[in-house]
Amino acid sequence: MTRPNLTVVPHVQQQRDDPASREVDWSILMARAQEGNGAAYARLLTEITPYLRVLASRRQRQASDIEDAVQDILLTVHAIRSTYDPARPFGPWLVAIANRRLIDRIRRQYRHRMMETPLMPEHETAANSVAARDETADHARLAAAIEALPEGQKQAIRMLKLNELSLNEASAASGLSIASLKVSTHRAIARLRDAFLSGARK
Amino acid sequence: MINTPDLIAALAAQPKPVRRLGSPMLRSLGWLAVAGLVLTVLAVSHKLRPDFGSRMQDTTFQLRLFASAATGVLALIAAFILSIPGRSRLWLLLPVPAALVWVANIGYQCLTNWVDIGPTGMTTGETADCFATLVIISLPLGLTTHMMLRHARHFATSSVAFMASLAISGVTAFAMTLFHALDASVLILSFNLVTTAVFIGAGLAFGAAVRR
Repeated sequence: MTRPNLTVVPHVQQQRDDPASREVDWSILMARAQEGNGAAYARLLTEITPYLRVLASRRQRQASDIEDAVQDILLTVHAIRSTYDPARPFGPWLVAIANRRLIDRIRRQYRHRMMETPLMPEHETAANSVAARDETADHARLAAAIEALPEGQKQAIRMLKLNELSLNEASAASGLSIASLKVSTHRAIARLRDAFLSGARK
Repeated sequence: MINTPDLIAALAAQPKPVRRLGSPMLRSLGWLAVAGLVLTVLAVSHKLRPDFGSRMQDTTFQLRLFASAATGVLALIAAFILSIPGRSRLWLLLPVPAALVWVANIGYQCLTNWVDIGPTGMTTGETADCFATLVIISLPLGLTTHMMLRHARHFATSSVAFMASLAISGVTAFAMTLFHALDASVLILSFNLVTTAVFIGAGLAFGAAVRR
C-alpha cells in the first residue's frame, strides 16, 4: 500500500511548482484570508514573498531596497485585499500592485537623487576630525537612547522615523491606531530630546 | 527595519474579514442611483428648460444629450474596472467613441458670459448661474466618486481619476442640458478636468509627504 504515496508526493510537488496551480492555490488562500483566516493569510504572504523579491530585484539593486520594496508591496496587498475577486486570476492582480509600488519607489528615488548632491572630498570640512568621530558617537548614543524607550514608543519611532513607513502602513503593521502611533512618536521624540539635552548639559 | 517575516506575522495576526468590492457594473449602478437622486432634486428645484420639447426635435441637440450621458456612463464603468488591480488599461478606450460624438457637438455658450452689463448696472451673467449649477451637481457626484474609488489611490490614481472626472463631466453635462438653456459642455469639461489635473498634480508633488 506504499505505492500510492510514492506517486502522490511527486504529483503534489509537481502541482506546487506549476505556475497555474500555484496561482489557484494563492487565489484560494486569498479568498480565505478575506474571510478572516489568519493562517491562510500568513501562508499566502509567505509564499508570495520570494516571488515579489524576484520582481523587486529586477528594478532595485541594493538588497535593503529590494526588501523595502517587498514590504511596501505586502502592505499594499494588505490595504486593498478587498479588491481581489476570487473569480479572477490572482497573478495579474498581484503583479499590477507590485509593478505600481516598484514604479512609485523608482520615481521617489529619482526625486531624492535630483535633490541630493554627491558628497565630494572637498565638501568634507572636518576630515578625520573630532567632529566626524563625534557623529559616529551620536549614532551610538541615539541607538542606545531609542533602545531605552518603552516598547510602544520604540516600535513607533522605528516604524515611522527609521523605516519611514507612513502612518497607515505603520498602523496596519502594528495593529495600533494612527492616533496612538502619533502620541507614541511624539512622546518618544520628547523623551529623546530630553535625553540628549540633559547629556549636553552634563 | 522590521524584517519581512515579522511584518507578515503582524499582518496575519489581525485576520479581520473584509467585504469584497462588488462588481464594477453593480458599483456603477450604485453611483448612477446617487446621480439619479441629485438630478431628481434638481428637477424639483429647477424644472426642465422651457424649450426642451422643441429642442428635442433637433438632431444635434439629441446627439449631444445622449453622447454626454453615454460618455458619463461608459467612463464610469471604465473607472470602476480600472480601479481593480490587474485589469487591462485598454478599458480607458471604452468612453472614447461616445466622447468623440459629444465633443463634435459641443457648445461653448456658457463659457463666455460671466458678467452682464445692462441698464441696471453690472450683474452676474448666465455663466455664473451655469457655474453654480455645475458645482451643485458635480460636488455630490465628486464626493460619491471619492468614497467609492478611494482604494484606487494605491495604484491607479491618474487613469481612474481621469475616467471618474470624465464620468462626472458627462453626467453633469447631461443634467445641465435638461435644465439650462445654454450649452455648458466646455465649462463643465474644463472645470472637472482641470480640477482633476490639479489634484493629480498636487498628489504627485506632495503625495510622498502626505503619506508620511
